[in-house]
Amino acid sequence: MLYKILDKKDFKDFVNNLISAYEVTAPKKISQALHDFFPIKSYEEMDLSYKRTTLPPAKKMLFPSNEALASYTVGNNIEVKSLNESKEQLLFGVGAWDINGMNFLDRIFSTDFIDENYMEKRKKLKVIGIDAEPSDANFASSVGSEFAKEGFDLFLSDIGDKYFVRIGTAAGAEIASKFGDFLDASDVDYSAYDRQMDLYKNKFNVNVNLDNFFENFEIVYGKKDLWEKLAKSCFSCGSCNLVCPTCFCFNVRDDIKIDLAGGIKSRQWDSCMISNYGLVAGGHNFRPDEANRLKQRYRCKLKTFVEKFGQYSCVGCGRCVEACLAKINIYEDINAVKEEVSI
Amino acid sequence: MVMDLKEKTKTESIYVPDIATITEIKDLTPTEKQFKIKIDDPVKRKNFNFLPGQFVELTVFGIGEAPFSIPSSPNNKDYFELCVRSIGSVSAALHRMKAGDKVGIKGPLGKGYFPYEKMQGNNVVIVAGGLGMAPVRSILLQILEDRKSYKDVTLIYGCVDPQSMLYKDEIKKLQESKELDIKLTVDRPDNSWKGAVGVCTNLIPQLKYQPQDTYIIVCGPPVMYKFVIIELEEKKYKPENIFLSLERRMECGVGKCNHCHIGNKLVCVDGPVFSLWEIKNLKEAI
Ligand code: SF4
Ligand code: SF4
Ligand code: FES
Repeated sequence: MLYKILDKKDFKDFVNNLISAYEVTAPKKISQALHDFFPIKSYEEMDLSYKRTTLPPAKKMLFPSNEALASYTVGNNIEVKSLNESKEQLLFGVGAWDINGMNFLDRIFSTDFIDENYMEKRKKLKVIGIDAEPSDANFASSVGSEFAKEGFDLFLSDIGDKYFVRIGTAAGAEIASKFGDFLDASDVDYSAYDRQMDLYKNKFNVNVNLDNFFENFEIVYGKKDLWEKLAKSCFSCGSCNLVCPTCFCFNVRDDIKIDLAGGIKSRQWDSCMISNYGLVAGGHNFRPDEANRLKQRYRCKLKTFVEKFGQYSCVGCGRCVEACLAKINIYEDINAVKEEVSI
Repeated sequence: MVMDLKEKTKTESIYVPDIATITEIKDLTPTEKQFKIKIDDPVKRKNFNFLPGQFVELTVFGIGEAPFSIPSSPNNKDYFELCVRSIGSVSAALHRMKAGDKVGIKGPLGKGYFPYEKMQGNNVVIVAGGLGMAPVRSILLQILEDRKSYKDVTLIYGCVDPQSMLYKDEIKKLQESKELDIKLTVDRPDNSWKGAVGVCTNLIPQLKYQPQDTYIIVCGPPVMYKFVIIELEEKKYKPENIFLSLERRMECGVGKCNHCHIGNKLVCVDGPVFSLWEIKNLKEAI
């Protein structure tokens, strides 16, 4: 890690220089309350004062909702070719929780079998993070993801009239020297950064206590009444999965091309909250009802990857809370589990 | 013994199947067909070394892919067999295919297999229900091909009715050979039926083997496991010596799509065979 300073008066030039060299994806305002990440052509298109973005940007760029994996000719002489589209891209202005979400996906797609479709795109993606404003439902600091330790090339923290910049990779150092006027950080800058980090942690309105949750969850796992109550209003729409930076379930399908001379194997995002998620050929459904599916989603987010990777797979971004029309709320439900155990 | 997954996929996309040819199709029952499959590329064919209990992802081009466990002997190096009931779009399409047609094969897959090395020198009980006979046939054949390495072997096999019994002729021959003890049972017997009537769970109390030198293999429809395990535990068989092949929805077969998860395990990479001990505290595993 290298530490540098970027004066705010040089910030606009820096961004425009990046735009001239890369396809830059950055936050744009799309409505009164909403932003989303899109490719931008100029500094003015960007709005870093965002709170909520509908979709997590890294997931959208690295793991598209519909992706061709292979194509083939059909008939007697079948030839299969892998398909893997990737390009050099730069993601600008992404918050720490979304970087941590991406780090989680990196791990998923490189564990055991390596998913080249994801990894190729990841290798070509430069990431510049920023201390983004947490939305009202964001509880990243409760799951330890309000701070990004890795996964970025540069990370910018606002310390008044300058940005304090952490340089995480050699590629990041190159970007800094090529496209901006970065100076060495002084002792004064370091202490300003230290103060800023303390202030930043206090910006998260929602605090949820996950102490003992790992064991508590096990205790309430079999309590059907509790889960039925929590999942009562769920429509099984799957929105919570779609907006989640760490949800990665997908389906694989084969289709015949329009010209009938060949076919395509592709994948589409899937949702563990949808009723046919656990349905097998022959008709047996391993996850037949809402209560069971909600319980398993929470298990996946808060327990499974503690066991597998030593971390939650929920980065606390709050998107699922904001997206749910039934007002199902993961941090309230964490508390509900606690309450159930304490009575 | 189990392949290094990273090694295997270093150069090739995990989503691209190898081309293979269906060389023979046989009717096993009115609803199940057996497919003999040969991978086209001679080098890949030679490298296709599977362990009993492993499976393949089979693509019917233009239709889809689905997982199938391999019921043939791991000692057949030139080809493998699949036993397919027509219940989904892929299996229905397979049933319409003929010898000479091409399919895509990814595999062998799964790190969890029936641990024949550990089972040597011990008694082996195989409990199969319905289509569950297919996954356990590979270990059964492997045992028979090296029969002297094992103590007593029992096969308990339950079906709905005598017509739906898989590998009938083979089983009949084995009954005559006395190489193993075979207990058959059906829910709905016909007039000629000579075996037991009822579910295979009922036959477990008759087992005479002691827990310390007995391994158990279980495979069948989801509803079967719970009851079989109750009976096995009743007889004090050790959970670390009981091996189950589990079924879940699979989309990728290579540990990425997450559909096959049970708690913190993925059936496609950590299984499909698990010891009862491994999954004991995974709610919903059985
Ligand atoms: S929890 Fe909410 S967003 Fe998720 S499936 Fe249910 S209704 Fe949809
Ligand atoms: S589960 Fe909800 S809060 Fe957690 S990372 Fe996913 S969308 Fe964000
Ligand atoms: S089938 Fe995709 S992860 Fe197991």
